[in-house]
Amino acid sequence: MIRLSGIRKAYGKTLALDELELEVREGEFFCLLGPSGAGKTTTLKTVAGLERPDSGTVLLGGEDMRGVEPYDRGVAMCFESYALYPHRSAYDNLASPLRSPRHRLPAAEARQRIGAIAELLGISGLLDRPVGQLSNGQRQRVALGRVLVRPARAFLLDEPLSHLDAKLRQQMRAELKAIGAVQRTTTLYVTHDSVEALALGDRIGVIREGRIVQTGTREEIWYRPHDTEVARAFGRPRINLLPGVVAEGGVRSDGGVELPVRTRAAAGTDVLVGIRPRDLALGGEGHELTGTVYITEVLGRSVEVTVRLGTGQRRVSLVAPRADAARLRPDDPVRLVVRPENLLLFEADRPERPGRRIETQP
Amino acid sequence: MRPALRPYLLIVPALLLTGGILYPFGLGLYYTLFDFSASKPQPDMVRLENYRAVFTQEAFWNSAWVTVLYAVGAALAETVLGVSVALLLHRSTVVGRVLEKILILPLMIAPVIAAIIWKLMLQPSVGVVNHLLKPFGLGGVQWTDTPTGALLSSIAVDVWVYTPFVAILALAGLRSLPASPFEAAAVDGAGWWYTFRRLTLPMLWPYVLVAVIFRFMDSLKVFDIIYALTEGGPGDSTVVLQIRAYLEAIRFQRYSFGISYTIVLWAVVYLAAMVLVKHLGKIQRKAAEVTT
Amino acid sequence: MRKRALGWLGDAALILYFVFALFPIAWMVILSLKPADQLFSTYFSFSPTLDGYRTVLGDSEGIPFVRFFVNSLVVSVGAVALSLVVGLPAAYASARWRFKGSENLMFTLLSFRFAPELTVIIPLFVLYQKLGLFDTYVGMVWVLQLVTLPLIVWIMRSYFADLTPELEQAALLDGYTRKQAFFKVALPLVKPGIAAVSLLAFIFAWNNFVFPLILTSNEAQTVTVGALSFLGGDRPKYNLTAAAALVSVVPPLLLALTIQRYLVRGLSFGAVKS
Repeated sequence: MIRLSGIRKAYGKTLALDELELEVREGEFFCLLGPSGAGKTTTLKTVAGLERPDSGTVLLGGEDMRGVEPYDRGVAMCFESYALYPHRSAYDNLASPLRSPRHRLPAAEARQRIGAIAELLGISGLLDRPVGQLSNGQRQRVALGRVLVRPARAFLLDEPLSHLDAKLRQQMRAELKAIGAVQRTTTLYVTHDSVEALALGDRIGVIREGRIVQTGTREEIWYRPHDTEVARAFGRPRINLLPGVVAEGGVRSDGGVELPVRTRAAAGTDVLVGIRPRDLALGGEGHELTGTVYITEVLGRSVEVTVRLGTGQRRVSLVAPRADAARLRPDDPVRLVVRPENLLLFEADRPERPGRRIETQP
Repeated sequence: MRPALRPYLLIVPALLLTGGILYPFGLGLYYTLFDFSASKPQPDMVRLENYRAVFTQEAFWNSAWVTVLYAVGAALAETVLGVSVALLLHRSTVVGRVLEKILILPLMIAPVIAAIIWKLMLQPSVGVVNHLLKPFGLGGVQWTDTPTGALLSSIAVDVWVYTPFVAILALAGLRSLPASPFEAAAVDGAGWWYTFRRLTLPMLWPYVLVAVIFRFMDSLKVFDIIYALTEGGPGDSTVVLQIRAYLEAIRFQRYSFGISYTIVLWAVVYLAAMVLVKHLGKIQRKAAEVTT
Repeated sequence: MRKRALGWLGDAALILYFVFALFPIAWMVILSLKPADQLFSTYFSFSPTLDGYRTVLGDSEGIPFVRFFVNSLVVSVGAVALSLVVGLPAAYASARWRFKGSENLMFTLLSFRFAPELTVIIPLFVLYQKLGLFDTYVGMVWVLQLVTLPLIVWIMRSYFADLTPELEQAALLDGYTRKQAFFKVALPLVKPGIAAVSLLAFIFAWNNFVFPLILTSNEAQTVTVGALSFLGGDRPKYNLTAAAALVSVVPPLLLALTIQRYLVRGLSFGAVKS
């Protein structure tokens, strides 16, 4: 278990972590998601003991880690830069944690262990090569191997897949999840890629400007996003956010568009209505909206259709099966359907912070 | 060991050694307030009298003028020649690739040795330069024996030693320029001069700037070359500030007065550095705007 | 066709510059090989002899040139060694941690690079005579720090800054101490930089003239001052001067050719990397 509470860390005048609270449960795969500069790496290095927080406590397995040296914390970390020794062989890099003066595994035992890890990661044939001669994907495996090679009570992984190309990234994602040690061990995984977070994380924490904005399972994050920023971060195409005003019986938007969202917010409140592109359909049961086609874009088996709503200029996008959308041309009139329970409601964005989600009533 | 202390412990030795260099500097500053000389080992406090004497001495203004002429002349000539050589080498012709390997040779020769070499060559009656010029009807030039000739000869030696410095930096700059703007210009059918003025020069400017600043600052405090080539002569025609300070402090053993000279020069170098960095920085930003 | 002609013209201009750059060195070789009686009677045809070198290296003419050469070697190596021992930790600290003391130190060191040498040397001239350091190795090694220390600290800082700190952090997590992380991880990776900057610092120390000119007289005098003394006297011996000049430029020239790749960073104090 990893628990951070009230962590503050400043570099000069810039605040990297601002009263950060985070809990990763025993055995859990936790994804920390945020844009660059949000404090993800600082959080990991604070857990590892490589950065000392200005205040706050770090608990590992219930023990206070104040003053405990990095090695003694018993965590293993994969760095974004991989931090491999470029002039040494892949074998030596994997052996480094085992040969360290604190660990000192007998050579024979180390060889066996490294052999097993290399087998698992499919790099047995590369062990004699200097890391400088390996490809990005191979280096990434070596870096991961260095994490797995000795037992640890937690794995800390800092964007381990970010330097890989899209195809390899997808493949490694699946492999990573399948590794037994990863399944058993508490893992804190940092990424800026929401697809990765959704695919890997048992739970996801969204970090922004040094603070955790929301923690939850992928369902919680998806269906009950804390604010518009979180809603925008997940899902491609991005969520549609239609500005509107709370009125009797629903929300009124531009161009005569009415949306059936009930809320306790006072009439006249400025709001944003969130509709995920996959929750909009070109037919079926639900609340109906009319509009005209603006543009269509083929995404393989489905089509992204952008529609101008009502008589106004507001546009929403939706993803429809190719069969339904194939005949659509710009300016064709269309009828859209959305189920009222899929509508999200947010406060309007303000300059100082994104709009928070507002509870809706059935 | 407290982790916050570690970086300080690591720099303590360097701080001590730096102090060992700053101490004589401070000591020198202190001496300038006295009239310390070999003939007066028990000096009296004279406050700023030394500085007043420096600034009212005609010799000082003469030295300052010679120093500026030298520095501007050398830095300018080296920049033009060095950048030209770099551009020519950047074409990477067979000849260029061979010659590039020996580009640095003059730069690695001690400036004083370079001056010795040139002194032998420029000797008016038996020097090889006049011998080679004879067929062109130019024999018998009194290179270092006339005031203008002495200054130009000193600058020439400086140019001989330091042109490779500018060329190496400019060449590194040229090699690091991105290829795409040049490809775009070629596609647009831009001429050589246009490409050079609008692309190469503005993008190369930061590198040239580093070279110019280094060369100008260094030539303000020139000593070795002039000491070996002309010793400041003929007359006072090449007595740059460091030579003057040397003559006053070491030859005439008027320590306080000599150090005052160097302090003034030190201040001039600092002012020049500040102005240069600030002013050229502005030009650099402008150049960057042009390219973006 | 026109392009081809321009290309030739460019090569011709290059060759012209290199004649200017290399002829003096070639001429020194010629002068140094001339017998004394053919010094001024001929220019390019003569009967070559090594007498000039024999005289210079035989310590005749009252100038102990071999000792000067050894002195140059001792003080340059000494100065570089001291600067390395003191400068490497400082360079590492200032590359890894931002703190006030290091920025001040770095700026002061950079200012040494541009300070007129005499500002420090004249007071040292007085000080050394009091302390008994005048004309000694220790005195020379001390004052040469003005040249070698800023160079080594600045360049090595730029090398350390190029290394991601995550390399050492990974070592800490593997169970190495900070000290071991520095010696086993960071140091081996900047070894080429250390070698290059040491050689460059050595060259600058070797080529220095004004320090030994003022702060030594005989015992610790170096080749740069020694070579100049061949020019003294009523009738300067051109062949001996040329031989002495050539002997004294051999070490820096040989070293320079070996570190050419690293020169740009060194010469520009880390401002330009190649």
